[in-house]
Formats: sequence, structure tokens, C-alpha cells
Amino acid sequence: MKENKKEGGIPSKKIQENYENQIKELQDKVESLDNSWKRALADYSNLEKRTAEEKENFLTIVKIQIIESFLPFFDNLEKIQEHLKDEGLHLTLKDLQKALKNIGVEEIEAEGKDFDHNFMEAIEVQPGEKNKVLKVIQKGYLLNGNLLRPAKVAVGQQ
Amino acid sequence: MSKILGIDLGTTNSCMAVMEGGSAKVIPNAEGANTTPSIVVPDQNIVGIPAKRQQVVNPKNTIFSIKRLMGRRFDDPEVQRIKGDYPYEIVEGKNGLACVEVEGKTYTPQEISAKILAKMKTDAEAFVGQKITKAIITVPAYFNDSQRTATKEAGQIAGFEVDRIINEPTASSLAYGLDKKANEKIVVYDLGGGTFDVSVLEIGDGVFEVKATNGDTYLGGDDFDQKVINWLLEEFKKENGVDLSKDRQAMQRLKDAAEKAKIELSSTLETEINIPFITADSSGPKHLNIKLTRAKLEQLVDELIQRTIKPMENALKDSGLSKSDINEVVLVGGMTRMPKVTQVVKDFFGKEPNKSINPDEVVALGAAIQGGVLTGDVKDVLLLDVTPLTLGIETLGGVSTPLINRNTTIPTQKSQVFSTAADSQTSVEINVLQGERNMASDNKSLGRFMLDGIPPAPRGIPQIEVIFDIDANGILNVTAKDKATNKEQKITIQGGTGLSKEEVEKMVKESELHADEDKKRKEEVETRNLADGLCYTAEKSVKDAGDKIPEDLKKDIEEKVKGIRDNLQTDSVETLKQKTQELSSILQKIGEHMYKQGGPTPGSQDQNPGNGSNDQDKGKDGDNKKDEPVEGEIVE
Repeated sequence: MKENKKEGGIPSKKIQENYENQIKELQDKVESLDNSWKRALADYSNLEKRTAEEKENFLTIVKIQIIESFLPFFDNLEKIQEHLKDEGLHLTLKDLQKALKNIGVEEIEAEGKDFDHNFMEAIEVQPGEKNKVLKVIQKGYLLNGNLLRPAKVAVGQQ
Repeated sequence: MSKILGIDLGTTNSCMAVMEGGSAKVIPNAEGANTTPSIVVPDQNIVGIPAKRQQVVNPKNTIFSIKRLMGRRFDDPEVQRIKGDYPYEIVEGKNGLACVEVEGKTYTPQEISAKILAKMKTDAEAFVGQKITKAIITVPAYFNDSQRTATKEAGQIAGFEVDRIINEPTASSLAYGLDKKANEKIVVYDLGGGTFDVSVLEIGDGVFEVKATNGDTYLGGDDFDQKVINWLLEEFKKENGVDLSKDRQAMQRLKDAAEKAKIELSSTLETEINIPFITADSSGPKHLNIKLTRAKLEQLVDELIQRTIKPMENALKDSGLSKSDINEVVLVGGMTRMPKVTQVVKDFFGKEPNKSINPDEVVALGAAIQGGVLTGDVKDVLLLDVTPLTLGIETLGGVSTPLINRNTTIPTQKSQVFSTAADSQTSVEINVLQGERNMASDNKSLGRFMLDGIPPAPRGIPQIEVIFDIDANGILNVTAKDKATNKEQKITIQGGTGLSKEEVEKMVKESELHADEDKKRKEEVETRNLADGLCYTAEKSVKDAGDKIPEDLKKDIEEKVKGIRDNLQTDSVETLKQKTQELSSILQKIGEHMYKQGGPTPGSQDQNPGNGSNDQDKGKDGDNKKDEPVEGEIVE
């Protein structure tokens, strides 16, 4: 009897240990799955928010792309006008400026201002008042107050 | 749980990515760009594009290429070389290490890099909408312990807990999923903005071992641009006798145009470089208008591309491998977009290189994936599969009606309500189909089962809900349930989607090939179903109306019904459509008569059967819409 009890005792202890291990394993698994699941949910909800935001911004992005690709032509027309000084071209450019303004495009005022790396890109330095914009080499633009293209400028340096 | 940011801290540009919803995604910076110039004005804390914009004004205080100084001693020949070339001050700091000095203050390369990392951290947190405390930062495979430690310290100064420093080529390989291959040899060819690295890796049991590295630390995209600029200067001089190289404004425009042309020639064979009013002399304004072909560009930069061959040979030699031992080649860095570069690498190894991932972002993406492996995210990804082919059931006339469209991410569930095709039909057969074709016979039948015990009722009245459910293991459960009796039958299809890739591709291709003819056949069946359904409705309406409608109208309708019925399978689609139309307009007269007499309008409730039968989006994902739509009919 005694021996039997002893023999029976060891396996039951083992079984219990096994169960405990299994429970621990399962608990760990539940925890890690729970984590992954919550993370996936969070990712999804963030994605939803961002998609909504992107949808809102979509029009702006499209606008930016189109305007950006047309700005170089505007630059060149202005250069041509500097040389030709043609009245017809002058009026056309004025209309073009108005059209740009109506869709929220605004020129960055740079000449004579302090150099600002947030809206301007320095192309060269020239002798002159320190940190002042001496000349605008390529006009910069804002779209609804946000940077569309920085103004390329020459900055003064003593 | 916090996310881990994967960061490619580059010599010229840096990039970051994070795991999201199981895949790596690049995070744009606050300025909206996917990469950030690795340029810092430390005393004013300006980082990235704004720092680049003021570089000309403030060259002594604008620190760039700090990566070249990371963890190096001041007397290191590399440091001495840079010291002569760079406009900012490089000094000897603590323990003989190289540091930079700005406005009388000494900064370690770690501190400068930390400013870049800190900006990325802030921008990333704003983008994902949560704090990010952990990072994985990549370094070149040849970085020694001191350089790696310095990189880790930079991360810590920026407020990161740096989980791991991993090699750039390892990250790129991870991005291409090459870690899943066993015992493969990989070559990573990285031609970036300012440096060229080639690494030979060996992968075993998911662990990468760097066998050899080589490269040229002063070769990159900027050199390519310079070649184009020089050529443009020469051409212009030849034509106009004017040297533009001293004109800063002209040079600026030339530089922009050269880079643009180089990028364009990766996708076109010829481009025109136009710079109106580039300069002016006594004879008036001058314009630059030069054609550049891809062949010419390749000739201009050939010397640069050839310079990448020797390092490839050396790396192979050091690794003790031959070209034929290499299983995979990975392209990294913006310059690898150039077809000629790809070609040279391809010819060298005799193997098509991996280049499908954006080469500017691949390192950061790989770092993010490594982060995903650490958090366990990546393991989950493997479970998120998609159904390769559309799953549906066969409906009246042999049409295949889809329930779950192909490329739907699983697990997923869809349900749709169907009805019977004949009066007193007491059972329906559900034929589960897989494939893209419109007709059931062209698709693969995965299994069929019967649902019987449906109480006898006129056609179109019983509501049989069919539910498709695919679990995460791709096991498909199809259940059909009679809503009146709640009686249900189901079938479980194991590995029904377990087609080989080739089979799937073949099926998708076939459906594209037969798209037009399938559409016609489906339309034909639908027209016949519609005509049949309308005949049924007409007969029922006449019967229900009894003597409330005049005899001649009754007769007229019966004749029309007979006209359709007799030739239902033989009439052309057009004829049938016309006949259906005629019957439909006459039927409306019943309604008129009924209203005149103030009676109920019989037959109105089942006007629907057959109409709009395949409107798939209804009954989506178990949403409990009203139970009325009878959206299709099941073949008896």
C-alpha cells in the first residue's frame, strides 16, 4: 500500500507540474495574442484617422503638384518679360498672378528682408548688409500660408 | 506597447520607418519628405532641409556628413582628409576623438547625429500619434565597435532606447524578405548620394553573417550630377563662347536641370534641357537648349560606374566566393535607379537583382522590419493572408455569384440572402465555386451540399442566408440557413484555397482573357432569368387580381407571357429584352385598375425575384440589414 501510494504520488505531482506549465504557457500566449490584437486594432484606428486626414489633404497635395510643375514656366515668362517689356505679356502675367492668388498661391516677400531659412534658400553670398536678402534669384511661393517653394536668394555678408 | 522606429542614419540623407498593420511603412518628416538631409546647425538647432537652405550663408556652422566622423580618432587619416575639405571646424576632443567646433562650442559626432535622430523622433511621434521610445539604427557593415558604440550613444542622447544596431545590407535583405531563405549568399550593392558600399552576406537560420565588405566612400549620385553639369558647361561654351561656371545663379539653375535630366533619363531615352535666359552678354540674352540622350549620359558617367566593379571583385575575393555562388543581389541607393547601373550589376553577377523596393527607403524599411521581429509583429504578418481567388456560389442559369472577392485579407466573413427559383421548391443545392469567371462551369467547384426542408412557398419567398467564413488558416466554412425554419447545413473546405501560385495566375489570366465573352454570357443568362421571373409575376398578378381587371387585359398579358415562355431559351437577348419590356409596361396597367377600384395591389411583394440578382455589396460582413432583399436565386 505504502509503495503504491508513493508510486502514485510521483506521477500525479508530475501531472500537476505539467498542467501548471501548460497553464503558464497558455497564459503567456493569451497575453501575447491580446497584445498583438490590441496593437493591430490601434494600428487600424490610426490608419483610419490618417486616411481621413489624407483625404482632406488630398486636394491640397494635388494642387501643390500641379502648381509646382507650372511654376518654372511662370518664372521663365517673367524672365522673358524683363527683356521684352511687352505690354501684352505684361497684362497676361498680371492675370496669371491674379489666378494664382485666387487659388491661394502667394509670393514670398524676400528682397530686403532678413534671411529666413524656413522660407528661403541661400544660393550665394554677396558683399552687403549681413544676413539681408540682397536679391531674389527665383521667387518663392506659399500655398495657403504653407511653403510651396522656397525663394532662392542672394544673401549679404561683410 | 511602444513602436520601434527603424532609422537609416545616412551620410547625406536619413530615413525612418515603422511597422504598421503588419507591414513596414516610411514615415515622412514634418516637411512632408520621406528622407531628411543629414545636415545640422547645432547652435541654432536647425536640422534637415532648413539647414541645407542656409548652408551657403553659414558654411562654418553647418555640419554635414557627420557620419564620416562617427567614432573616429582625430588622427585617423579619414578625419584628416575631411578636415582639409570641409568648411566646418574639426578638432580633437576627449580621448583623442574627432569632434566639431561651432561658435566656440565643441560637439561630439554623437551629439550632432543625436540632433538628426531627435528631429526624426519628434516627426515620427507626430505622425503615428504616440510616443516612440525605441529605435533600431543601421550602420555600414564595415563600422567597427567604436563607430557602432558612437551610433548607439547618438540614439541614447536623442532619447531613444536603442534596441539594436544592425548592418545596412542586413536591413536591405530583410526588407526583401531574404531572411526566410536558408544558406544563401547575398550581395548588397549600395550606391547612394555620397558613398558606395558593397557587402557579401551569408544567411543561415535567419541569421546574417557579413562575409566581406568593400566600397568607395567618396562615390555617389552627386558625382554623377557633376559629370552632367560639366558636360553642359562645355557644350554651352562651345556654342556661345561663354563660361557659366563663375555665374552662381546660372550654376544653380544648371545643377537643378542636370539632376532633373538624370532622373528623367532613367525612364526615357532622351530629354531636352531648357534653361531660357541663363545669361546675357553684349549681344543680348542667351538660352541653354541641349539634348541629352540616355546613351550620352551613360557615356559621361561610365567611368564612375566602372569604379564600382573593382570593389565588387574585391569583396567577392575576400569572401572566398565566386560569382556563381551568389544567390541574390540587392540594389540600394538612389543611383541604382539608373538602368545602366542595374545592367552592370546584372552582367557582373549574371543574375537579375532585387530592385522592386524604393532604393532610398529600403534600409529604413528593413530596420523597421527588424523592429517588428523583436516585438513579434512580424510573426503575425505571416498569418494575414489574402484569398488568391474569388469565392462564390452558383445561382440560377449557371451564373457564378461572388461572395468574397479575390485579394480580400483573411480572416473574413460575408453573407448574402438568396431565394428559390421555383414554386414549392423545398431544397437548394449550394455549389461553392472558386475562380474569376462569370459562369459557374468555368470555375472550380470546391464542394456542394443540399439544404432541404424548406417549407413549400412561391418562388422568391424563402430567404436562404449563405455565409462564407474564412478563418486565419484559410479554412473556408460555408453555411446555408433557411431563415424561416432556422434549419442550416454547412460544409468545411480545408485548403480549398491551397492552389499553387501558377494555378492561381493561370486562373486569373484566363478570366482576363475571357472577360468580354463571359460578360456576354452572364448578361444573357440574367436576361432570361429576368424574363422568366417577370412571366411568373405576371401570372400570379393576373390570378390574384381575379375579376378586378378587364378580360382583354388579362388576355393580352397571357399572350405576352406565352410569347416569352415559348421561346425563352431560343430568342436572342435583344428580342427577349424587348418582350420583357412590353410585358412589364402592360403589367403596370394591372396596378392602375386595382387602384381605380381601391383594392390591394397583388403581386407587388415579389416583384423582385431575379432583379438585381448579383448586388454583392448588400449583406456585407454580417450587418443586419432588413431581411427583405432577395438578391438572387439558387439553382434547384
